[in-house]
Amino acid sequence: MIRRISSLLDADDTRTVGTSMRIPESLRDAAALAVEELGVARSATALTADALRSRLEAVVLQAALDSHYRDNPRARPTLGDLAVAAAELDGHPLAGRPDLLRRAAEAIVETHPDADADDAVLWAEAQAAATR
Amino acid sequence: MTSPRTVVLDNEAVQALHSSDHPKHPRVVAHVQVVAHRKRKAIPLDILVPAAVRVEAGWDRRAPAAALINHLRITDVALDAVRANVAAELVSRRGVSVADAHIGATVGTVAGRGPVTLITSDREDMAAVTDPAPVTIVAI
Repeated sequence: MIRRISSLLDADDTRTVGTSMRIPESLRDAAALAVEELGVARSATALTADALRSRLEAVVLQAALDSHYRDNPRARPTLGDLAVAAAELDGHPLAGRPDLLRRAAEAIVETHPDADADDAVLWAEAQAAATR
Repeated sequence: MTSPRTVVLDNEAVQALHSSDHPKHPRVVAHVQVVAHRKRKAIPLDILVPAAVRVEAGWDRRAPAAALINHLRITDVALDAVRANVAAELVSRRGVSVADAHIGATVGTVAGRGPVTLITSDREDMAAVTDPAPVTIVAI
């Protein structure tokens, strides 16, 4: 399934099809306004297709990782690992303080169980600022 | 609107993703997981691999062993005429490998679109081939 969706997303396909997809009228009008007034895409159709592609790419990427974690549980990163990775990707000043980031990740889930890596970095940044 | 961040992989980053036995596999998977989280939040972010890096790392997209890495939405960057010229100049001037030169040429072409992060095992060579483009180098 992942492979099939992935190859469809990768297809160099310029053919288009009309669809009978129904969307809320207000959403259609909002998209038209965003295109006309904000120039976010060349058309409402392009905006819709881009948003759908981005969403599907995110879904496929996470599905591939989840499948990998099921087969290789040790590959699943902890929130601390993710906080360090997030800081590194952004070149955040705390990237050089992994211990602080890992402690922040452990602390934040006590009160915010759904916190993600960016939340943990922000938490660490706040703690670092408070102790300066 | 937020400028898209581009993440570029070097040879060892690709090898680490390719094999779950690689000692750096969990570390690079964590970076990809952060990308996945951000994509879910509609934060624009792309992962690129220069084609010459893919060759050097032995990543054949047709191989069954590449199943995981093939599904991580990593885009190939061709060594086209423009990048080949830049890469040739880098090979001549810096004495780096073709793959490293292709990384430098790739970063040069995407640096104007938004922030760039390079995941690499060779910070010094990567700093040399990407200079003067502003790049966040993550040493693994």
